[in-house]
Parts: sequence; structure tokens; C-alpha cells
Amino acid sequence: MTIQATFSATHLTCFRQNRALFTDVNIAIYPKHILSVEGPNGAGKSSLLRILSGLTTPCSGSIYWQGQDIEHERETFLHAMHYLGHRNGIKLGLSVQENLTLIQHQLLITEKPAYDVILEKLNLTLYRNTLVNHLSAGQKRRVALAKLLLFPKPLWIVDEPLTSLDHDTQLFFLSALTTHLQLGGMAIITSHQPFKLDDVVISTLRLGT
Amino acid sequence: MIKAIQYLFYTELLLSLRRSQEWLYPIGFFIIVICLFPLAFTPDPIFLQQYFPGCIWIAALLASLLSLENLFLRDVDDGSLDQILLSHISPTLIFLIKILTKWLVTVLPLILLTPILALLFQLSLYSTLALCISLLLGTPILILLGCFGVALTIGLKQQGVLLGFLILPLSIPVLIFGVNIVQYSQMGLPIAGSVAFLAGICLLTITFLPVTISATLRMGLDDVY
Repeated sequence: MTIQATFSATHLTCFRQNRALFTDVNIAIYPKHILSVEGPNGAGKSSLLRILSGLTTPCSGSIYWQGQDIEHERETFLHAMHYLGHRNGIKLGLSVQENLTLIQHQLLITEKPAYDVILEKLNLTLYRNTLVNHLSAGQKRRVALAKLLLFPKPLWIVDEPLTSLDHDTQLFFLSALTTHLQLGGMAIITSHQPFKLDDVVISTLRLGT
Repeated sequence: MIKAIQYLFYTELLLSLRRSQEWLYPIGFFIIVICLFPLAFTPDPIFLQQYFPGCIWIAALLASLLSLENLFLRDVDDGSLDQILLSHISPTLIFLIKILTKWLVTVLPLILLTPILALLFQLSLYSTLALCISLLLGTPILILLGCFGVALTIGLKQQGVLLGFLILPLSIPVLIFGVNIVQYSQMGLPIAGSVAFLAGICLLTITFLPVTISATLRMGLDDVY
């Protein structure tokens, strides 16, 4: 008897402009597993991540969270999943703290998480009340990543998390990712930079070959 | 839940007020267009009294159309539309909050200005009241139709004129009933019939369009990426 994967996708196909980006992609992810999606530019990495997060409907195939099709059990799936695309999804006209509080309310979380601790770790304490518009690209990315750490959810789907981060923050993010996995979390990540995680098995999916 | 909705509303309001062009441009546009009408027609006060309601309506229509274009595009650009679609609150509700804020920030000031402009054109108090009621009921329809148009064309980067082609024909009934209300009030006829019609259309759009907009945006996003 095989163990059922917590998050799986079968026979995913995606077409763009009448061209098949990928066909028949199968994915199975178990707790403490990380899947790294690799491939050249335009191979469909971001499209795959958008499909897996339920934002885009695939041309064919289905996605299952704990054995349930996410189309039918969308609510349950959304409660278990963080999606962060290459666009940060934060409002430029709001301050760092306002953005994070907005995310908290969008996720319907009533108790205040440890903002101080996480902002300190991401070197954002000084910029807490600064408009995001005035921050650098890397700082904006850090604000976007903060939600992964502030509001724990079992599945992270993150597109290019390391891009535009400085070396220290990259290391911090990788260590946070390791902790997340060791606690039984799961992650799907695309990255152009090779990365290593201690004591974690990274499975790789190559697109566009 | 209530607290979350309150905060969402607060941040939307904050965002709109921090971008002064959002509420300043429509007001400026509205005033200038209204002031141009007497110059283009004739300064004859009787003629103007008769045509002023129509002018106000056309100006309000164009001002609201002008302010709509970048409503959802900005959310697409910074990726927050994805987060809205994935949030734990129903996206329809969030879009409704966005549309409501849009109306409060861009259209409500125009309606508040209308009595002052009506004074310039020597409109009677009763007609001014009728005009304000017609605008209060009619402009939410215009904004909702506009948002629907924006949602339909979200996949295009340049929607400008197409948006006008899509929305303006749909807003004809609103214009007819809106101007009707004021014309009847000027002639001393009862306005209840037209008001009821406009209120009916208003309720219908508020009930159905947010759901439609939310679904359209979700599908439209596929074309963006």
C-alpha cells in the first residue's frame, strides 16, 4: 500500500498562444518535502506555480490537497497554502506595517502575530512605518516574504524567493525554509540560483526539456 | 470578519486619499466641463436651466469613466489581485469594498458639488434635490458598469477607448432615467416613477455585478500571465 501524497497533481497541461508549455506533469509532495522547479526562461515555471496555487485553471489535469480536488475544496486548500509570485502582492501606497496588517486581515487571523520579531530578523524594523514605495527592490521582497513567517501554513508556493535579496537575507530565508520543512511543512520553489538545505531532500522537476 | 472588512475598507480609503490624483482629477474635470457648456451654447439662463441637468449627467459619466481605467490594472501590476483571489475573505466582497471606496472617493465629491454648480445655473431647489437624488442612484450603476468593463478588458494593456465603447452604450438607460427625473421635476410632474426605475436598476447592478466582476477578473488574469 502506498502512502497518499499530501499535495499532488496529475497530468497537468498548460498551453500558451497555442503552444504547449508543458504536458503531462505529475507532482507528489509529502510533509518535509521540497520540490524545486527548474528550467530555462519561458519554460512555464511561473505558469506551473500559478496553476498549483489554484489561480489559473490548467488546460487538463487535476490538483489534490489531502486527496481532495482543490477546485471543489478550494476553501480548505487556501487555508493551507501561501502563494508568492514574482510580483510581491503588496501595496506600494501603504507602509510596511499597514501591508502586513492588511494581509493578516485578508487571512482572517484575529490574534496579532509577533511582528516585532520577524521584522527585526528581516532588518525591516527601521522601515516599519515607511511607505513601501520608498523601499528598495530587495526590501520590498523581504516585506512580501514576511507573511510566510508571520502566518504559518503547511504549504509554501514561492516563485524566485531569492531574487534581489542580499546574501544575509538569502541565508536567513533558507534557514527559515529548513525550519519550516523540519516542522512538517512543504514547499514548491523555483530558483535560478542553486541552493542547498541541510538535512532536507530536495526533489527536482525540470521543465522545458 | 467585521474587523477585517473594516480594515480592508480603511486601507482602500487610505490608498485612494494618498494618491491625490484619484479624487482631485475627477473633481477638476467635472467643474471644467460644466463651465464649458455655457460658453459652447449660449449664456441664456432659461436655456441653461433646461439643459443643465443633461450637462451634469454627461460630465459625471465622463468623469467616472476617466477615473476607472487604472482601478484593477494597478492591482494586477503589483500582484495584489492574486492575493485577493487567494484570500480567505470572499473576493467578491473585497471587490465590492474596492468599488464602494472608488465611488466614495471619486463620485461622492461630485454629487456634493452639484448643488453649488446648480446655484450658478439658477436651478430651483426642488430640481436640485431631484438632480442629487438621480445622481445618488445613478452613479453607482455607472461605476459598477465601468468596473465590469475594466474586468472584461483586464488582459489588454491599453484599454482606453475600448472601455468607452463597452460601457457608454450600457449606461444609456441610466442617463435617460436620470435626466428624466430632473426634467419632470422642472415641469412640476411627479418623479417617483423614474426614481423607482433608477433605484431598481441600481439594486440589480449592486446585486449581480460584483459577483460577475469577481468571476471575470479570475478568468481574465489567465490572459495577463
